[in-house]
Amino acid sequence: MIAVLTSVGLLSGGFLSTVGLLTKERIALNKQKEIEEAILAVVPGTESSQKLYEEKDLSIYGGKDEDGNLLGFAIHASGVGFQDKITLMFGTNASLTRITNLTILDQKETPGLGAKITNRESFLKYWENKDCSQPLSLRKPPAISPEDLSSSEVNTITGATISSESVLNTVNLSLERLKRLKTEGKFAIEERNAN
Amino acid sequence: MPTKSIGEVFLKGFWKENPIFRQLLGMCPTLAVTNAMINGLAMGLATAFVLIFSSLVVSSIKKLIPSQVRIATYIVIIATFVTIADRFLAAFFPPISKNLGPYVPLIVVNCIILGRQEAFSSKNTVGRSLIDAFGMSLGFILGLLILSAIREILGFGTFFGFQVMGQWFKPWIIMILPPGAFITLGILLALALQIERKTKARR
Repeated sequence: MIAVLTSVGLLSGGFLSTVGLLTKERIALNKQKEIEEAILAVVPGTESSQKLYEEKDLSIYGGKDEDGNLLGFAIHASGVGFQDKITLMFGTNASLTRITNLTILDQKETPGLGAKITNRESFLKYWENKDCSQPLSLRKPPAISPEDLSSSEVNTITGATISSESVLNTVNLSLERLKRLKTEGKFAIEERNAN
Repeated sequence: MPTKSIGEVFLKGFWKENPIFRQLLGMCPTLAVTNAMINGLAMGLATAFVLIFSSLVVSSIKKLIPSQVRIATYIVIIATFVTIADRFLAAFFPPISKNLGPYVPLIVVNCIILGRQEAFSSKNTVGRSLIDAFGMSLGFILGLLILSAIREILGFGTFFGFQVMGQWFKPWIIMILPPGAFITLGILLALALQIERKTKARR
């Protein structure tokens, strides 16, 4: 009885470790590719990127052009959404005064309502090129066109205030953290680029 | 157990003992992932892979498994194939793997698979078990596809991602949410029962 169960377990374990080894590399590659594509989308013109800092729910990447000059930062962050965690990536310029772009990597918001945070036309386009020297705020009820918003305002999705707020809070909190880390000089690479 | 013909063993999964509509097994993936046809198909294929290989292994070593630990042994075998399916999807089809989320690992506890091992593979030859597993898998895939087709057409206006409804169509968001799954499944179950009753009455 024990012998059978043990040998079945051992066989299965051996078999699975082989499968795990064979697929590990590819899975890691997929994840990396997803992140790289997102960095390119939020920091336009990026030729190479490097992870500068990492902590729970926050990773910071530096996007550089072909000469190695720092174009901006790509911030990979997660925050609480309406249903589950929302994982997003946004880009800033090198001096941390402007948000260049935002993209949502993972979310489980209500389809048709909160899930519109992944839609460029209804939500993401309002995040392009925003002033972030101060925390951003939400415009509610939403403005009709991007021109009606002030430079530090973004639109709310009608019927999905919580999802919109979650994205806003995640961005604001990680920006604040990023600015503090920057003044504390936590990025090894940035020093070299400034010279 | 009265011996059935090979054809009967194969076909019973489609209607007479259809996992979803007649046995009501595997309801968790049935309800959770049928909001789009591609997800339903991927879940059906992953389950089919696990069911077929588990049946193959269980029926070929059934004489070696002591009856006291048979369930534990089946679960270890099933979990092995589920993990393979999960890693395979994550490595080669990352978007599908992301959509299915935790429901691929949850195939381990899908009652269709354990149920077939206990009810069929542990008592039948390798060949018959494989045919049974194929029939059940196809029946399960068929059920998932019917359910996800209804939900996708009404909820998104698309069929396998292709737009089939015109501009006038306003998607019923409820169909891609959990209530839509319960409503659709309930109506389909009632229909299946009604058809079964009618055919029985005629006989």
